[in-house]
Amino acid sequence: MSANNYEPNIVAFLCNWCSYAGADLAGTSRVQYPSNVQVIRVMCTGRVNPLYVMNALQQGADGVLVSGCHPGDCHYMEGNYYARRRLGMLKDLMEFIGVDPRRFHMSWVSASEGHKWKEVVEKTVEDAREAGPFEGFRRRRIDW
Amino acid sequence: MDLEKLRETAAEVAAREDVKYLIGWKKGTYGYRVAPGFIEDADGAAELIFSPLCTANLATYLTLVEKLPLPRGEEPDDRKTALMVKGCDSRAVAQLLVEKGIDRENVVVIGCPCPGMVDPELLAEKYPETEEPAEVKWTDDGFIVIRDGEETSVSRDELLAEKCRLCRYPNPVISDIMLGEPVETWEPAEDEGVNEVENKDVDEREAYWEEQFSNCVRCYSCRNVCPLCYCQDCILDRLNPTWVNRSVNFSENTAFNIARAFHLAGRCIECGECERVCPANIPLGKLNRKLAREVRDKYGFEPGLDPEAEPFQASYKPDDPEDFIL
Amino acid sequence: MSAMLLNKEKWPDFVGRLTGKKLWAPQAGGDGMRFAPVAEGEVPALDYGNTRVPPKQAVFPQTETLFRFQVDGEKVEEPKLEEEAVLLGVRPCDARAMVIVDKLFSWDEDDPYYLKRRELVTLVGLACTEPGLNCFCTSVGGGPASTEGLDLVMIDLGENYLLEAITEKGQALLAETEDLLEEAKDDVAEQKEKIINESEQKIKRSVNTEDIPGGLPGLWEDPLWQRVSASCLGCGTCTFLCPTCHCFDIQDETEGFDSRRCRSWDSCMFAEYTLHTSGHNPRPSRRERTRNRINHKYNYYVDKFDVIACVGCGRCINLCPVNIDIVDILKQVEEAL
Repeated sequence: MSANNYEPNIVAFLCNWCSYAGADLAGTSRVQYPSNVQVIRVMCTGRVNPLYVMNALQQGADGVLVSGCHPGDCHYMEGNYYARRRLGMLKDLMEFIGVDPRRFHMSWVSASEGHKWKEVVEKTVEDAREAGPFEGFRRRRIDW
Repeated sequence: MDLEKLRETAAEVAAREDVKYLIGWKKGTYGYRVAPGFIEDADGAAELIFSPLCTANLATYLTLVEKLPLPRGEEPDDRKTALMVKGCDSRAVAQLLVEKGIDRENVVVIGCPCPGMVDPELLAEKYPETEEPAEVKWTDDGFIVIRDGEETSVSRDELLAEKCRLCRYPNPVISDIMLGEPVETWEPAEDEGVNEVENKDVDEREAYWEEQFSNCVRCYSCRNVCPLCYCQDCILDRLNPTWVNRSVNFSENTAFNIARAFHLAGRCIECGECERVCPANIPLGKLNRKLAREVRDKYGFEPGLDPEAEPFQASYKPDDPEDFIL
Repeated sequence: MSAMLLNKEKWPDFVGRLTGKKLWAPQAGGDGMRFAPVAEGEVPALDYGNTRVPPKQAVFPQTETLFRFQVDGEKVEEPKLEEEAVLLGVRPCDARAMVIVDKLFSWDEDDPYYLKRRELVTLVGLACTEPGLNCFCTSVGGGPASTEGLDLVMIDLGENYLLEAITEKGQALLAETEDLLEEAKDDVAEQKEKIINESEQKIKRSVNTEDIPGGLPGLWEDPLWQRVSASCLGCGTCTFLCPTCHCFDIQDETEGFDSRRCRSWDSCMFAEYTLHTSGHNPRPSRRERTRNRINHKYNYYVDKFDVIACVGCGRCINLCPVNIDIVDILKQVEEAL
């Protein structure tokens, strides 16, 4: 794939109660957003094991997005607070290890924020596009 | 430290009826080597030592010992384990208590205030390892290296281990018995190792770690030596789901190292054991210290100080930093 | 043409001649970590002790693809092993280790991957003149100038290397580079003997292994195993870095739409090594695992192949994080007999 028509692969982990519904709203409201995102629905961002992010990058994602309810709005009261702590640490670690910080984003998108979802996706895709195809520690076909 | 006093105390503790054994340091089989010693009775205490070569963090043995199924009719041996700890080791004990990895009443902690350890590699570089027993001792302002019958005074800066330069807690934070007087704490040095990597740009950092992680042989000594890596069912051993493939290549090695370092975020007590034992000399300490620094600076949290504290990753504050969130 | 001299100044030319084959030599700058393929035009230096990872990785890679397959198709691809390789500067102990491991891989079933690689490899050895602190090769049937397993041996005579061909492959190598070499003079044999003798004198560690294979079965329940294994961390340092350890584990892995079956080194010191599906583990603790490691090297292997599966390279002693010292264990075994 040449550099100018490169389309990044984005894996997005969305919480069932807010962001997934927000993305759904964007769809039903006919809000156009980039189609690079592969959505994986989870019950809560607190359920996103930071190693999912690592594993997505390893298996071919160029960018990862984790999105959940705004602080205080978590369906399980506090799941997104834990996620914020853990994924914040993960972002620091990834950056330290040499993964472009533009490849990983986290956002709060509520069920009524279809337009915010569009902006978040656009930003994520744009960042991943600028960062280019992820080569780093992606699983590659190894020579014999 | 007074060795007589140490051995006397150890003998007393080892002889106690409610103590299974005492774990301390003893002279290794050659040269500078120091080995963990498992002392079961008062007589055994005579071989214990405490010197600038006792880098090993013995707290790891608290969770390493296998609990085997017992033959019918046999009672479990629930006597206590006595453990000699330096400042950093005691933080591991405290963190284990936070995580309820051990019971407080099952351990007897013998605290050894620690003036700082030597770096075994720096030492061997300047004063090569010998087959005859060799020793290092503390003086008021440095070390004395004793090998081949020769005594050489060395300044503290010359041989002090990196983790000890950065140490903020040379005195045990938790103990039942304290040996000797607390040492005077020193101003921790700036962490140049972490700074150096931080100051690189993303591509340089990637290249740096690629070189390091490519050397990893996945012996898991860093995981096994770590007092805080004690999961019965480690994700690295799991096959279903396979978090990290068994094959050894840069991708899987990086995944393994991310997983290891991340699981220690907010838990690592910076004893530096992972880095010491790594046969590939990967600077694992930099990963852990980077995370420890972030935890300290951003969240104002330090692990392994208060046995009653909440574990970092299983707690939160409503006003945790969220500047990275879109 | 069995003994030739190579002037050290001609070493780069000698290396340059070995084209068309994959060259392996101790990695430059890598802290003596391992043998690595030599880049074109690079001249490997041989002034090192012993690499941390033994050269067995050239014939028995840490991870080796056995075949590739696709989930939806019937296409199965096998690796094509045809590249000839030359290993430069192999220490005599490591070469001996390969001979020992050969016996296992050609025992009941031939292991085609290993044996093919072995066939394609030429081992150019370098006799040890400065044995390491923990070398004890002379106690287990080797020596600093043992030629077992080598195709060509080099001995450092100061200004020159003395090259002696051991096998036909070695002869062929000498023939290829004939114009760089000089015929060795008669006094060389004497010089060589002196160097080897001196080197043997420098080996400080030793243990009498004569009675150990026969005695180990009787020590099965001896308290010594608990004693020596108490401080073991259960890591794989001793086994992964051992030139004779050869255990592996086979896994299927996917890489996108491709899959492969591969084998990776495994270690008998890991808890999961003997773990059964039921959850039962016949070697439940580090005591049994340590006992197995020693028994495998000094008892089972001797039973089966009549040779001790330890070459005394000292790596496990040098690199054990908690000073578990195999020479010390063997001495304790001797005492317990």
